[in-house]
Amino acid sequence: MASNKRWIALFVIFVIISLGSGCQGERKSIEGRCDYDGAKIEPLYAVYFTFQDGTEKKFCSIACASLSFPELKSRIKEVVVVDERSGTKINASQALFVESEVVTVPHVKNRIHVFANKEDALNHIQTFKGNWVENPFLL
Amino acid sequence: MILNALSITMIFIGALSGLLAIWGGISSLILYRKWKRPAAPEEKSSLEDRSYLILLIMVIVLLVRLINWPLFYVTLQSFISDIEGAMCIFGVTQVKVDLTRFSETLKPITFFLIGGWLILHVLDRATKTSPLMRRKLFLLSIISLLVLIDSLGDIFLILGIAPESLVSCCTTITDILNRPTRTTPESIFGPQYAQFLQSIFLITHLALIGFVGLILRSKKPRRAILGFLCLFSIVNAVLFLLSQIEVFAPRMMHLPFHHCLYCLWQYVPDSIPLFAFFSLGTFSVGWGFTTELFGKHGETADLLPIYLRKIYWFAFFFLSASLMMLLIHLMID
Repeated sequence: MASNKRWIALFVIFVIISLGSGCQGERKSIEGRCDYDGAKIEPLYAVYFTFQDGTEKKFCSIACASLSFPELKSRIKEVVVVDERSGTKINASQALFVESEVVTVPHVKNRIHVFANKEDALNHIQTFKGNWVENPFLL
Repeated sequence: MILNALSITMIFIGALSGLLAIWGGISSLILYRKWKRPAAPEEKSSLEDRSYLILLIMVIVLLVRLINWPLFYVTLQSFISDIEGAMCIFGVTQVKVDLTRFSETLKPITFFLIGGWLILHVLDRATKTSPLMRRKLFLLSIISLLVLIDSLGDIFLILGIAPESLVSCCTTITDILNRPTRTTPESIFGPQYAQFLQSIFLITHLALIGFVGLILRSKKPRRAILGFLCLFSIVNAVLFLLSQIEVFAPRMMHLPFHHCLYCLWQYVPDSIPLFAFFSLGTFSVGWGFTTELFGKHGETADLLPIYLRKIYWFAFFFLSASLMMLLIHLMID
């Protein structure tokens, strides 16, 4: 009977540890990361979805954002991408998308690049055997 | 090879346990064949002395191999920063896909067999005449072979993972729409498969805990019932994995489209004890059955119910603890 009590005491301790250490603290470590797979975000390749209720989701790459897009499309107000050349944020509808041999985000093998300027995009296409791709975030 | 303290430890453990497994396996097989033959008292005494030495050394090797399973994942975790494109253990496993998959399959099997053997050993040591010695030696020779394969697998894997390897990580594989963990339950339960999966797992898990509770209440559980329970725990484990991948992991990570269990361990570290508790609880149900299967012989028959009770208490505790942790997570999230 004494050993049973010991087991129960151990069980309760584990539950308390789980309650205390878990959940909320861990959430903080995910904040600021990609909302698709939790990867660290390199600001130059980030994609931002702004929803109709004013909330925002951010992604580490075009690949992750594209995977989330079909599910979230109906609630999205605006998609913002980053010009690879200057690092400035632009609306996805005004951006130019190029697929080339160059991988920007290795863990998803993202090869789609974003440019605000046509000259920069053409230059990238010629240098890295790229081709034009359609805006993957058509609302 | 990626050189760090953990990879060196893995290779050292692999080499040492591999060599000792060869020696222990061959010696235990020889002793097993000699044990039953009628022998002179001096020869019998010499056999016993040898068997104690082999068992002593092999118990230490097997205990180290038990620790090796979590150590394997800790080592892979330590490689993440050296592999380009890896953001979790999944990325590391992509460097040597087949070998890693082989090791990941063999390790739980070895862990289960070692655990079962150690329980038999403890049971046998509680007797005066060691009635299980011959069985123990035979099983030890089989386990030694697995330990040897597992050790070699570790060494080749650690040596084979080259730094700066370029891989794709989990997002490109675990999150695709036609992943088997989604398509299989979806073909059975339809588009609402996630809810069904969650409910079925919770029902089977509670049922398993209930059955274990009933076993604890019965004085002499039948072997067939223990065998059924063992099979049921395997079904429950499959459902656990499926429901974790498809339902619970995305919810616990707050990443609704991401289904990687390695990422879960990384982002929600207290899911590691949850998985450990579940594994130990499930293995304990199996250990109860193997102990009943191999441990009933002569003098142990009287001790067996006491040991079975302890094993099933262990199972009951760990299965309940894992369920409790999961429910707390779901409630808080």
